[in-house]
Amino acid sequence: MEKVKLFFKGFYAGFKSFGLTISTIVNFVLLMIVYFIGVGLTSLLGKTFKKRFLYLKKEDRKKSYWIKVNKKKQKLKNYRRMF
Amino acid sequence: MNILGISCLYHDAAACLVKDGKVVAATEEERFTRKKHDNSFPTNAIKYCLEQGKISIEDINYVVFYEKPIMKFDRILNSHLETFPKSFWTFFKTMPSWLNEKLRLPSIIKKEIGYDGEILFVDHHLAHAASAFLVSPFKKAAILTVDGVGEWTTTAWGYGDGNKITLLKEIHFPNSLGLLYSAVTTYLGFKANNDEYKIMGLASYGKPTYLDKFEKIVDVKKDGSYQLDMDYFVYHYRLSMPSKKFIEEFGPARKPKSPIDQRHKDIAASLQTILEEILFKILNHLHKKVKCNNLCMAGGVALNSTANGKIVKNTKFKKIFVQPAASDAGGSLGAAFYVYNTILGKKRDCIMDHVFLGPEFSTDEIRHYLKRNKINFKEFKNENRLIKKTAKLILENNITAWFQGRLEWGPRALGNRSILANPCNPDMKDIVNKKVKHREEFRPFAPSILLEDQKKYFETGECLPFMQFTHLIKEKMQNKIPSVTHVNGTGRLQSVTKDQNPKYYKLIKEFKRLSKVPVVLNTSFNIKGEPIVCTPEDAYRCMMGTGIDYLIMDRFLIARKDNLRDAWDSSEISKRFAPKANVTFA
Repeated sequence: MEKVKLFFKGFYAGFKSFGLTISTIVNFVLLMIVYFIGVGLTSLLGKTFKKRFLYLKKEDRKKSYWIKVNKKKQKLKNYRRMF
Repeated sequence: MNILGISCLYHDAAACLVKDGKVVAATEEERFTRKKHDNSFPTNAIKYCLEQGKISIEDINYVVFYEKPIMKFDRILNSHLETFPKSFWTFFKTMPSWLNEKLRLPSIIKKEIGYDGEILFVDHHLAHAASAFLVSPFKKAAILTVDGVGEWTTTAWGYGDGNKITLLKEIHFPNSLGLLYSAVTTYLGFKANNDEYKIMGLASYGKPTYLDKFEKIVDVKKDGSYQLDMDYFVYHYRLSMPSKKFIEEFGPARKPKSPIDQRHKDIAASLQTILEEILFKILNHLHKKVKCNNLCMAGGVALNSTANGKIVKNTKFKKIFVQPAASDAGGSLGAAFYVYNTILGKKRDCIMDHVFLGPEFSTDEIRHYLKRNKINFKEFKNENRLIKKTAKLILENNITAWFQGRLEWGPRALGNRSILANPCNPDMKDIVNKKVKHREEFRPFAPSILLEDQKKYFETGECLPFMQFTHLIKEKMQNKIPSVTHVNGTGRLQSVTKDQNPKYYKLIKEFKRLSKVPVVLNTSFNIKGEPIVCTPEDAYRCMMGTGIDYLIMDRFLIARKDNLRDAWDSSEISKRFAPKANVTFA
């Protein structure tokens, strides 16, 4: 009985590890497609029209780097949103 | 009205329960899971908060999360779009957790704790601001929040008035003082989001000879606003932090565990200097705009005690409150209070004057644990006798662990889960390091001092109960407490008062009676690489794995030498130490 238990325990662990490997490969392939097609094309298109997604260039001429926000209390429904 | 604040899925997961405007319980998940900086959903911390509040999940009116996940995801997507195709590996590594957890937060909350009610989301820096202001002693104050990054914001300032908070100006990612500090931390061979305080300690050994190089990297305006030259960093698209250009400028990066030379110390000193310069510029500008002498600070950078200790001297602010859990863990507390006081408009009724908000264990529970495990101990029925004995043990240079009452909230052990030692012994720093902490020799230990004697030893007499400010120790007193005097003559002090922690106060008072010194060395009760101990079991295991001589747990005295059968060697753990801190910001 112990041997059978041990066998199934090992079988389960092996199968779990196999499943994880498969999911990593599938994830990798899917994310690669999303990255190179979704992110890549959007990025190239944006850059063609000189869209800046992130401000990486130095802007020494600015007098101040502070961004005005004026964040204060909003209506309750605004806090229900994840954005 | 019960509000549960949650912070998690980045680093320092925590939960906080606010009941009718008072904080009932607040604790970090790491204390239960024993994984330092655990970022997983804080199921254990929430369970504890509900137990402490004697309520069930159905009694919760609001669950509040400490940031807006989709806004953060927006920043991450924009980073990938800007840096395509260099960001592929970061995308591959971070996207699964975004898709499986972070963007599905409401369903995770429902699944993990069975909560089906209203869930609110508060901006990351608003949560930080609220965590500092709404529990501060001030009716009105200027507010500064500085950390690595929230959604987009990395630095923000504004003011608090009554139960309202207004943030007026921000700086956005990738410009970040927190990330600059973390980048140099990794360059110097330490871990981001974990070891920044080590760089702060190291800075005292160096001279700011690299300041001109840092000034080239950070463009700072008169109003304290700043911009980083991103050619020196790669954290917006890679898992590492400084770029090749940074290494060309500063020389080769230090490998972890390799020797620290003068160059490393000077770089740390230069980093600390530029951080302080920028902070003081921001604060002077903030004071000019807000015209208030009170200041509240939160965010990881607000834990920089060296900079904090210099604020009064370098700015016009007179009074400062820094939230004890200023990093992301504190966001859970801030989010909960923001909903109660600001959104629902309820009157402020909570001043955070202590941090003892975590689990505690009764005398019976501890006795039962000791007996069940056949641990040899001595019980003191009389508290005064226990205190006298403990003070004597400390004076005799024994390393003594002190486990009393409720666990501390935040990163500092403040007299309930502390390791205590004799500060008068010049070798004590090395002894504690060698026998218990296994940590870098350049790092100082902190002093706990009776408030009424503070002015005799320190340049300040102000009550500073949370160990967030480093101050000069008077020159003539430095040789009286050598093991808590840092190389530059400073100490990160904890003022101890009778009201705040009566038992700890009595202990230091008794130590003073015996030694004529009202100070004890206080360091957190943990093994290197593990969080502060939570339960009696954690405490006993920690003592038996290190060179702690005695453990005083509630009214029980446990000697290591009487229980050697349970001894083990924790130094192997500290050698293997590699906390699972998330170092990706993209």
